[in-house]
Amino acid sequence: MDRRLFLKKGKFMFLMLLFLATMGAAGLITTGCGEKQAGVSKKPADTINGKPGIIPVYTIADPSGDWGYPSPYTHYRRGPGYIRMSLIFDTLVWKDEKGLIPGLAAKWGYNPEENSYTFELNKNVKWHDGQKFSAKDIAFTFTYIKEHPYDLVDCSRVSGVEVIDDYRVKIYLKEKYAPFLNNIAGALPILPEHIWKAVANPQEFTGPEAVVGTGPYRLLDYSREHGTYLYEANREYYLGQPRVLKLRFVKIGNEMSPAALERGEVNFAQIPPEMNDRLSGELEVIKTRYDWVLKLMFNHRKEPLSTKEIRHALALAIDREGLVNNAKRGYALAGSPGLLSPDSRWYNQGVEKYSCNPEKAAELLTAQGYRLENGYYTKNGQELALEMLITPEFEREGQFIRQQLEKTGIRVNLKSLESKTLDALVSDWKFDLALSGNGSIGGDAEILNKIVLGQTFISARYDANKELTGLLGKQLTVLDPGEREVIVRRIQELLAGELPFLPLYYPDWYYAHDGKVKFYNTPNGISYGIPLLLNKAAFIM
Amino acid sequence: MHINYWQEIRNNSLGRIGMIILVLVAGTALLAPVLAPDDPFTQTPDSLESPSAQHPLGTNDVGQDILSRLLYGARTSLATALVVAILATMLSLAAGASAGLIGGLYEKMMMRLVDAFLVIPPMLVVIIAAAYIQPGMIHLVLLLSLLGWPAGARIIRAQTLALKEKLHVRASRTFGAGPLYILKRHIIPDLGPVLTANLIRGARRAVFMEAGLSFLGITDPMTVSWGKMLYHALKYVYLDVWQWWLLPVGIALSLTVMSFTLIGYSLEEAMDPRLRREKHA
Repeated sequence: MDRRLFLKKGKFMFLMLLFLATMGAAGLITTGCGEKQAGVSKKPADTINGKPGIIPVYTIADPSGDWGYPSPYTHYRRGPGYIRMSLIFDTLVWKDEKGLIPGLAAKWGYNPEENSYTFELNKNVKWHDGQKFSAKDIAFTFTYIKEHPYDLVDCSRVSGVEVIDDYRVKIYLKEKYAPFLNNIAGALPILPEHIWKAVANPQEFTGPEAVVGTGPYRLLDYSREHGTYLYEANREYYLGQPRVLKLRFVKIGNEMSPAALERGEVNFAQIPPEMNDRLSGELEVIKTRYDWVLKLMFNHRKEPLSTKEIRHALALAIDREGLVNNAKRGYALAGSPGLLSPDSRWYNQGVEKYSCNPEKAAELLTAQGYRLENGYYTKNGQELALEMLITPEFEREGQFIRQQLEKTGIRVNLKSLESKTLDALVSDWKFDLALSGNGSIGGDAEILNKIVLGQTFISARYDANKELTGLLGKQLTVLDPGEREVIVRRIQELLAGELPFLPLYYPDWYYAHDGKVKFYNTPNGISYGIPLLLNKAAFIM
Repeated sequence: MHINYWQEIRNNSLGRIGMIILVLVAGTALLAPVLAPDDPFTQTPDSLESPSAQHPLGTNDVGQDILSRLLYGARTSLATALVVAILATMLSLAAGASAGLIGGLYEKMMMRLVDAFLVIPPMLVVIIAAAYIQPGMIHLVLLLSLLGWPAGARIIRAQTLALKEKLHVRASRTFGAGPLYILKRHIIPDLGPVLTANLIRGARRAVFMEAGLSFLGITDPMTVSWGKMLYHALKYVYLDVWQWWLLPVGIALSLTVMSFTLIGYSLEEAMDPRLRREKHA
């Protein structure tokens, strides 16, 4: 064999080996993940260090990892970002599984004659740096928030704060505001005056002083690159010592989290719904309340979707149950046209359902002057053709809806875009149909105002119905829960009738944990309505 | 440098293997409608099923037959590869040969343009472009071709410069041949090996890029493509489905890219004058 032939053979063998090795490695990696391995003990840690219920380290997996520096002005403006901040900063009141519980305030009450709330504060509260907490910090926070708005809490309805003495404070409202305790007192992180009075640009304030709070945890380490957080328990916490001494957040994708849980590498993680049955035997699995909704946005400012009946026809042509069974394999609940889910205490089950009915859809289209030609509806020689914007994440949903609408005779052109581009196009009204989701529908009914009248890309920005607009404004000022419920029910009815968007489904979210900490679904969501399980109250003894 | 490509590939064991794989892939692509057990688009409620007689590779998350999608996916990959390779090579030829023949300021400008294009990562441009235009197949092919020509143009220019000084070209110029005639009769035929190498390289890159872009989810959501299959399959790696969903697509993609590489190798050996000398010595 001459040298050249040898080289050639060698090259070939090398290529083959490389190919086999790559395939083999891929196989090994994936099998490895599926296998169950003996890991750390999963038994509840009842008597570690001789103390009952103390857990030295607790690890939480998160697919995104980084949610910003956990200070009020630097965390990302989404639920998980707020949760990371809430471990350090306390609010006046908080919620556990039953409802409102004391936070910085031990007692509170409403004074109807002057439309104000009085708060009696806890007396043994200290900031993490040892300074004493007092009512002045509350007054300072409300003043500071007026100058530097905090997106998640809207304090525009607060007219003033009166410090009665060191441990009593009165908050006055401009108008009656029903969600005050949930959306302001239970959501606004109280800042230490002695630190923040010198901070002119809070968005850029990220030093160790920016994470001095009164909460159950102190921040030990944060890494944006790795998406990790490490907290240490505040042993002098005024509401009791935290059971978990060190709390870690690590970045692990949802696909990998079941394996990490089984190996005992993490104590808590979101899991894909298919893993519920497999894991529920050895781990505790909790399904969260429906709080997130995927909506089909209609461009109601442009022909033909500016006509209500056409929107109705589209809703009737789409089989939402089928969508859930197909695109979500049954792991979701078909949406209610009134936006709120059956899990919400404000839910109205009597709204128009638009159950799939292609014949009725056809009738509505015919009544609007459309005629079926070559399988598609046309009017004045123009085909009823709509462009539907989707993100890669909702490709399956997009394909299914397209299939359904095309079957009815509506041409749909799917366009897959990156999510920020889609949001921008929807914001500028450059779309016909778009798939877009939003959370917080399980919180206070104020979400209806945000989604119907709000001006962001998740909102319908719809004010064509005077009664609807009027009632939305009114519901916030009605303090009697029964009376408010009646109004909110009517709002859902009107919304379903106008149909500026179609709620498609509420997805099932499952979380699994090893049972060392008892987690629960918080009524109306954590704080202003976050549908997650990581309520700091669950960590306190 | 007149080479019988077919002979070269056949005489080379690597080339033979590459050719066999490519023919197999192309065959399945052409015969997809006959071979596929199901319509690749129909969504059914039977999702994530294990392989069975009805679905040899099981079904995906929305109940589509995976084998059918694999077969139809070959069409997308090969069609993209073919068109992009031809278009990009034509652009390379036009830019490279004209620069080499005309020279002067035009050549300088053309080559700086090539340099400018070379520093732009094509993937990034396609992602940005896809955000603004409807990212259908035609646009994707055009974009990939427009971004794939500069490297080839540089090689072709260098080769043209060398060919221009060859005796037979000079002779024809002495007899009054114009640049177009020289290009058609002498330069292009002699550029054959370089162009072929360019075509193969372009095809390989196109298969890769198409899969990559579909994987990122920015191509037309209605096309069936291997990259898209990988994208969807990766969401379910915690279940057993990866064995009949992820792995076959990965193997198909690797084999296709490998076939182009092997053919490229065998041709490279045939075209490299040094290797040839050794061979025919």
